[in-house]
Amino acid sequence: MATFWDIIHLLTETPIFFVAIAGLTWGILGGALPGISASITMALVLPFTYTMDPAQAIALLACVYIGAEYGGSIPAILIRTPGTNSSAATVIDGYEMNRQGRAGEALGISLMSGVVGSLFGLAMLVLLTEPLSWLALAFTPASYFGLGILGLSVIASMSGGSLIKGLAAATIGLMLSTVGTDPISGVTRFTFDIPDLLGGIEPVLVMVGLFALTELMSQSGSAGMSRLNASIRIKLPSLSMMNKLKRSQFIGCILGLFEGLTPGGGGSIAAFMSYNEARRWSKTPQLFGKGSEEGVAAPEAANNTVASTAMIPLLSFGIPSSNSTAVLLGGLLMHGLIPGPRLFEQSAQVIDSIYVGSFIAIIAQIGIGIIILPACIWLVNRPRQYRSGFIFALILSGIYTLNNSLFDLGIALGLGLVGYLMRLTRFPVLPMILGVVLGHMVESS
Amino acid sequence: MNKDLLSGVVLLAVAGTYYTWTTQIADSTLSDEIGAGGLPKVLAAILAILAVCLIVRTLLSARMKPATAAAAAGNADDEEADENAKLPRAIGFLLFGAAYVALLPFVGYPIATALLIAGIALYEGSPRTWVIPAAAIGGGILYWAIFVKLLGVNQPMGSLFQGLF
Repeated sequence: MATFWDIIHLLTETPIFFVAIAGLTWGILGGALPGISASITMALVLPFTYTMDPAQAIALLACVYIGAEYGGSIPAILIRTPGTNSSAATVIDGYEMNRQGRAGEALGISLMSGVVGSLFGLAMLVLLTEPLSWLALAFTPASYFGLGILGLSVIASMSGGSLIKGLAAATIGLMLSTVGTDPISGVTRFTFDIPDLLGGIEPVLVMVGLFALTELMSQSGSAGMSRLNASIRIKLPSLSMMNKLKRSQFIGCILGLFEGLTPGGGGSIAAFMSYNEARRWSKTPQLFGKGSEEGVAAPEAANNTVASTAMIPLLSFGIPSSNSTAVLLGGLLMHGLIPGPRLFEQSAQVIDSIYVGSFIAIIAQIGIGIIILPACIWLVNRPRQYRSGFIFALILSGIYTLNNSLFDLGIALGLGLVGYLMRLTRFPVLPMILGVVLGHMVESS
Repeated sequence: MNKDLLSGVVLLAVAGTYYTWTTQIADSTLSDEIGAGGLPKVLAAILAILAVCLIVRTLLSARMKPATAAAAAGNADDEEADENAKLPRAIGFLLFGAAYVALLPFVGYPIATALLIAGIALYEGSPRTWVIPAAAIGGGILYWAIFVKLLGVNQPMGSLFQGLF
């Protein structure tokens, strides 16, 4: 665990404060854009972290995740369109409050419940990863192999109804991970004398292609959505209101912890479960669905808790439990950081940066959340025709920064097509990403 | 053809092609017992088995549940037709990216970016007003300023305009 002096060093000697604020801001903006999920928001920024210090880069991604979970509630409340999947439950009472002219109040409850959930999640992250890391120190290469297989077993919970398709997608991901130089013998495989393939296919290209490009392709030709009311401002809840919401926030935190630790759980399930439980335990269950403050607080506390607790199995054992943590895992690998137990032995500063950066982002979220709302509304109100072009250009520019390679752009575009075809044929993409990310770890062990 | 059946056939073809490629992997004295081609061969076999499973399952479900399938066919057909209709459009969208990659070394980063933004705006049905060139030029300059000037990324400046930027 980070000592006091480690934290002081991080705050004074590194740009962690600015990294956290930048990540949070980007996360809120990305999360507020309908269709751009937390994982896509993270995947978009991933190429830009390539040249950063590893500790700062991972902290940035963690802060983007935190920001995106809050950002998703903005269009959920204002136009009944969840910005991220996990804010879908917020639509029910959030939008109803908006219809009653209480949009500012709903946004304030969402913001503060998110902060409560994030703080609880961060506390659990700090408390639980430390003991788990001690357990992990006893791991042998055989254990690492087992961990890789366990990571792949997550596929079973993420196959979206067809285990065969999930396993096939994971196998293709593993096949992609074999492209390049064999980690044991140094023999080249599937490179077809193309020098760009000697280093293999970087997981970041797979993530950007399958998540971001596929989403842009899917949105092509779709109808525009309702415009946000630009005059809305956040109204933070009073102390008495926060006292009233503590039960639902507590439920959200507990279920968020449980779902964050569970492979395949994720923010969406946590949010809907906590909404249901909050209604069950509420003194006024009849108000749920009719603009209940508790109906906003519970799911927002839950999905923001998940943003931190989902990192526990990732950092302790290298097991990503959701799309977003898979992107985070890709970030770790991109910087040569072995996910799992070794991270605590060899790169403790990365862990400290995640803790400190997340804490800064959570606290700053109160101020940034209020300040950035007009920018979010402006961004969401831009015509989709222009937004798509700008996001597409951003993706391609970001990919090029990785290796200054046009070949990388071609691979990402190809994977975008593969992702779209997988979506059409109902093949889940996450197992494929897990296959690419975990493939190298499995083979080299 | 049923999408799952088609997917199974495609996966089988992928597994076969991949296996053929694994036979071309060179041996090395540094290799362990499994060798550089060991895991790829196992993966090819796994994918082939999964592909066969998918094909068999699709054929069996088509034979065993004709009534259920017929009942659900109405909605599913509409949805599938809608998705299929969007495929050419989605591929068209991606082709703008391919054109960007092709043009980038010649026209350079700012112009290629501007063309991409303008092209996508037109493709997505934006009204043909002055806003399109304005947004495209603004976007090209904005990204050039961020990536080339601020972040110092060595983006191609184009063989057509060498020495200009």
